[in-house]
Amino acid sequence: MSETFHEFVAQRSPALSRTAYLLTGDHQLAEDLLQSALARTYRHWRRIRGGDPEAYVRRVMYHQQVSWWRRRRVVERLDPEPVERGGGDHGDSTVLRLSLLAALHRLTARQRAVVVLRFYEDLTEAQVAEALGCSLGTVKRHGHDALRRLRELVPDLVEATPERSIR
Amino acid sequence: MTVRLREALREAADVPAYQVHERAVRTARRTRQRMAAGVAAVLVLVALVPLTVRGGGGGLAPAGSGGPALPDRIGLPVFGALHATDRPRLGPASVIFSGQARGLTGLIDENGTIGVVGAEADRYRTYRVGHEAPVGEQVLLSPDGRRIAVPGGTSEHPQVDLVDLVDGRVRPLPSPVARSVLMEPAGWAPDGKSLVVRDVVPANPEGSAYRNVLSLVWLDTGRAVRGLAQGVQVPSFGAPVAFSPDGARVAYQIGDEVRVSQVGGTADPIVPDFQPLFSFRVSSDEGLAGKGAWLPDGGLALVSRDPESTRWRLRRVDPRTGKDLGRLELPAVSGVTTIRLLGWRPDGSALVVAYRPEPNAPARFDQPLELDQRTAYGHVRSVRVLALAPGAATPTTVLTAPEQVLAVDVADDVVRSGRVRDADPPWGVGGRFWWWAGLVALLLLGYVGIRWAVRRARAPRG
Repeated sequence: MSETFHEFVAQRSPALSRTAYLLTGDHQLAEDLLQSALARTYRHWRRIRGGDPEAYVRRVMYHQQVSWWRRRRVVERLDPEPVERGGGDHGDSTVLRLSLLAALHRLTARQRAVVVLRFYEDLTEAQVAEALGCSLGTVKRHGHDALRRLRELVPDLVEATPERSIR
Repeated sequence: MTVRLREALREAADVPAYQVHERAVRTARRTRQRMAAGVAAVLVLVALVPLTVRGGGGGLAPAGSGGPALPDRIGLPVFGALHATDRPRLGPASVIFSGQARGLTGLIDENGTIGVVGAEADRYRTYRVGHEAPVGEQVLLSPDGRRIAVPGGTSEHPQVDLVDLVDGRVRPLPSPVARSVLMEPAGWAPDGKSLVVRDVVPANPEGSAYRNVLSLVWLDTGRAVRGLAQGVQVPSFGAPVAFSPDGARVAYQIGDEVRVSQVGGTADPIVPDFQPLFSFRVSSDEGLAGKGAWLPDGGLALVSRDPESTRWRLRRVDPRTGKDLGRLELPAVSGVTTIRLLGWRPDGSALVVAYRPEPNAPARFDQPLELDQRTAYGHVRSVRVLALAPGAATPTTVLTAPEQVLAVDVADDVVRSGRVRDADPPWGVGGRFWWWAGLVALLLLGYVGIRWAVRRARAPRG
């Protein structure tokens, strides 16, 4: 593969930016996260450019985000009340989007990573486990906990029907 | 179902692409430079410390104070200890020791390493003999502590290696006896200019029998100046050897006979080679006391065992006849396989090596047993150096050693000084370890530097 680092960043920045934003829920943090992941990718570019550099960047972002989350010692606050309901108007996408972002903030970094990987990147649980470097059982547990909490926070987002696992 | 969640995530992720390319590249380069600088700093530190320590020029290591003294204990050589010929030079030694403790043998087989302790401070060195060789019997420290005589060479070319602790050189002393297959040092002359050596020579062309030859060799010419004894192999052939303080006479034991030969004082010996001046027999429970057997008054000291006991004491005999001149008024030493007399201190006390028996040894030490068997490694658990003071009821321990240190030799100058110092044996790892660690660190530094330069040259520019 003769793709240069610059070409790679130019082509994949939009998609990577979206993932970074979903993982952090904050533009500034998302920029920092992507920059950090790309810097690490640049240092190892010779080794990884022949493989799947995008997967590498995503993996770095997931782990970096978890690491930052731990370092910041974010105190999880389980709010018994939904933070912002979408109400009955499912067409109000802005409200729903804000509700989602607020709800994602209530998840742990690992839970949010599982949500992003599973429902935004559309990876299987096995692929998520591989990307996060954890066991399948851990992914299931985080996914289950994340959906349960999202269901509590934004009931309109997640229907009560259990998610069927695709391994 | 999570259709809405998926849709919401896609909507929420509708953000512009962040322009972080330049910043990411700058961050990566900065991180790489910091890492390289950090690694280089660590490697340089690791490399410089041992090289500075070891490469202190050819001079002697800093001396302690107060002149040569006996350390009150010895420790085992540390892993990676400097060798006797390494820089900085050790200088004269006070004590050498050997045995089967850690650091004195190989991992799998015996490699006969001896430990060497500096005369004035606890600087340790090692010297690899290559086979089991008890110090004081087969490896001898010179009277001034400057040289160690070690059996060396091959059966075709036997020799004694003279290891100089001051200049770090090893000088070979070839065998003076034709057809010799083994050569060992047996005793240093008081002035350090000559050495009694023991050779093993085939007694017939088939090599089915051997005889021993004991000779006095001048070290400056390497030639034998006096044949002392020759004969069939017997236990204790030329062991121990004791020079009179003026170096004119030498006493040695051949089997159950103690002989005295004249070796100095005149250019032409009064008696021919291999003819002793005097000789007398000793019983199975006694023998020539050791290298310090000559008494200040011209008498000769024997070690003797009290009947049916493991209690040993020194007694005085006439060197001409072996006539008993009575016990010396020194305390006896109990519970040992034997004792070996190193010499005499200014206060009149005798310094002896005491051999504590190995509890699992099959031999009985309260029964007659050859003296060379009483100091054999398998029969000894540990050794101590004791001072036997005139009139004292019990011996005074002046040097202790870890278990399985099975032999010690002390320089005559240190014995005569009468000084004992508080010991502080080294711990951790030795100078050779640090030297090799420094070398490896330098190589790694070079490798990391080259790799960094190559990667920088190949690094993506855009």
